[in-house]
Amino acid sequence: MSAWEHTAASRAKAHGLFGPSFSPGIVARIALLAVIVVFFQTGVVSELSVLGVTVDLSPLLVAFVGLLCGSMLGAITGFAVGLLVDLALVQTLGVTSLIFTLIGYWSGRLRELRDPQAALIPLLVGAAATGASMVGYSLVEFLLGVEAPVSLELLRQIVLGVIAGAVAALPTWAVVRRSLEGGLPEDPRRRRRRAYTTGGLSPLTRA
Amino acid sequence: MYDKTVRRRRAVLLLLVVLSLILLTAYFGEAAGGQLHSVQRAFLTVLSPIQDGANKALKPVRDAFGWIGDTVDAKSERKQLVRQVDKLRREVIAEQTERSAYRELLALYRLDNRLSVSDYHPVTATVVAKSPNIWYSTVTIDKGEAAGVHINDPVINGEGLVGKVTQVASDGAQVSLITDSTMGVSARLGSTPATGIVQPKVGAPNDLLLQYLPANTQANRGDYVVTSGTVSSPDDSLYPPGIPIGQVTSVNEESAYRSVNVHPLADLHNLDVVQVLTSVRGSTPAKVSGLAANLPAGQTAAPGTAGTGALASATTGK
Repeated sequence: MSAWEHTAASRAKAHGLFGPSFSPGIVARIALLAVIVVFFQTGVVSELSVLGVTVDLSPLLVAFVGLLCGSMLGAITGFAVGLLVDLALVQTLGVTSLIFTLIGYWSGRLRELRDPQAALIPLLVGAAATGASMVGYSLVEFLLGVEAPVSLELLRQIVLGVIAGAVAALPTWAVVRRSLEGGLPEDPRRRRRRAYTTGGLSPLTRA
Repeated sequence: MYDKTVRRRRAVLLLLVVLSLILLTAYFGEAAGGQLHSVQRAFLTVLSPIQDGANKALKPVRDAFGWIGDTVDAKSERKQLVRQVDKLRREVIAEQTERSAYRELLALYRLDNRLSVSDYHPVTATVVAKSPNIWYSTVTIDKGEAAGVHINDPVINGEGLVGKVTQVASDGAQVSLITDSTMGVSARLGSTPATGIVQPKVGAPNDLLLQYLPANTQANRGDYVVTSGTVSSPDDSLYPPGIPIGQVTSVNEESAYRSVNVHPLADLHNLDVVQVLTSVRGSTPAKVSGLAANLPAGQTAAPGTAGTGALASATTGK
């Protein structure tokens, strides 16, 4: 095991990130949140466009679940939300699942390896998730043989979409975090607060 | 313990990716009547009433956001409309003098038996869901086979052509908008007899391209583009002639064929109520469609123009 892997392993063990993430409560909350977000997206948000682009809340949801719950739950949520989106919108099955699985996994790994705490992290993660989903769609559609030129307009759409995703990221993050709060196995903020107020995580230091 | 966790995590990721790829490959490779398409249609059947309910419940939210956007846009639109009204007033005066002569000519040549939208048995439907990304310009409506909606039926709204039906369930249907990459509509420039194909400019959701116009076509900015009403293959949907599609924004002259950029007249971002032209069996359009389907490959039928003779025969049963 390399030094980097060892560090990641000890951090993961300390955080307890891989074990108890799959409690039925958290799974039920994520499922409910996914259904509400997909309906709200297709019924309301998709109807509203600013400068020709619409905000897509689905990749934001997947990225934030990954950021809160870890890579495995992030990837599974990504797959399920992608499948729901493809079924609800009668799109090519598997495309959104593939892209969202990778987004959920990536954001989960970000939490497991870096555990970022800065206030702007959700905004950056939201922008990155939106950008990744738009580029991912473009790549898959090109691979599937859609005849389309790579135009400046397409790039403009992606840039505007990323900006729109970043704008929607903070409110979406607040909703997702609030919805999952209490069900999370180990909230890093809570852990830090506890460490700060008690003087350490070890029971020996409190004794 | 760590190695086991890492292995499990990687295995789950691999499984999900492989599952997605299998779904994608199977769906893309199968016909429209395949198993996965059937599952999707069944899901749409179950989901349509729920989406319809959610759509109605969330309408106030959508309207509130829409009101803010509309207010912002209203000022610039007002200036454009004032200019347009001036132009149209001049055109109306000129048209009125020509109309009486036109009616006399129509009566003289018995060409007044043209198709109108009401001949196509329009079914009014509400948009209940819309795809958010630029690669799928589709919407879901709350009317399906039970209301007489079929695949390839044209969809319009008060402003012009919206798209066509591409998937149908019993109580819902998917409509591909004219900006979807799979769409192509036979169209002509309103001021000329020149016809071409309107296709979307992918990545530019507000723009269409009218391609394959003859090189000598005179096109001007502001010209209207309308459906030509021609059918080029048995699978094509029969768009009634004369449905407005968009307005010319610029002309390209870089190839042997001329092409023009077109801005759609229908506001495809704010679709609420649409009409599906169901063209039921036995109607005049269906008969014309049948005639067009029986033509040899490469030939076209234009119900409003060259096909008028055929249309008259079909209508009278001769």
